[in-house]
Amino acid sequence: MDDSPQQFRELVEQHQSRVYSIALRILGDTGAAEEVAQDVFLELHRTLRRLEGEQHVSSWLRKVACHRATDALRRRAARADMAAEEFCDEIAHQAEAQEFSPLMNRVEQLLLTLPAQQRAVMVMRYQEDLEPEDIAIELGMPLATVRSHLHRALKLLRQKAQCTLKEYSRG
Amino acid sequence: MVEEFDELERELREQLQPRSAPPGFAARVVARAAEQQPDAASRFAWLRGNSSGSGTRHPVWQWATVAAAAVAMLLGGVEHQHQQRIEGEHARAQVMLALRITAATLKDVNEKINQPVQASQAPNTVESR
Repeated sequence: MDDSPQQFRELVEQHQSRVYSIALRILGDTGAAEEVAQDVFLELHRTLRRLEGEQHVSSWLRKVACHRATDALRRRAARADMAAEEFCDEIAHQAEAQEFSPLMNRVEQLLLTLPAQQRAVMVMRYQEDLEPEDIAIELGMPLATVRSHLHRALKLLRQKAQCTLKEYSRG
Repeated sequence: MVEEFDELERELREQLQPRSAPPGFAARVVARAAEQQPDAASRFAWLRGNSSGSGTRHPVWQWATVAAAAVAMLLGGVEHQHQQRIEGEHARAQVMLALRITAATLKDVNEKINQPVQASQAPNTVESR
């Protein structure tokens, strides 16, 4: 594809929300999400000549955003692997202290308590509206792994959603 | 159970719509990309002849310079190898000469050792007759 400044600016404007949202929902931090999203677009700028067409750019951005955000998450060693029971205790504490970011909705906050891989798969499935087969291709995972991540993530989210409802109804 | 999952999936789809990027995001990315580009461009600018420092040299001259440098390096390598071979041959000749001198000296010494024995044995044989 053409890597002229005009073409690049148009691509950034067209895809910025999706790339930023992927990073934000995996990282849960607006500053880190912007940093990752910027790096993804700079990588696109270097790679643009090798990409063929709009569809390729779109899928490339999704894949790279997801990988870069999960890499950043691992580096940060965030509390991604919190178990459902731990989360219930944590949510009780946070409900009292109102620690959750007011910028993030309830589903986004719940998503941030999942392990990194499950989080990435959930964002691909429900934000990007991809089928499990497409997620497997884009993230380079076996289809069975994608299905297992989705199933476990939904189960965990359901448990955690019940905890939040209990806590908020108590409050 | 299935209904609960369906409800949760519906909520996920609704609440995970893409969010707007922060204001000025595109401008910041484009500015960073523009900063990156001169670095990459200047890395090979001397080959393209558009470097600000060297004026507008014709690309043919630049390629000729590169080719001349390559030939000079090649010739330098060949000359170095030739020089090493000559030095090796010279050292070999010196070793051979040293061996020849040693062999001749040993031969002389051997002859000198054997001479008195032969001389002392000769009168005895005459006397015994």
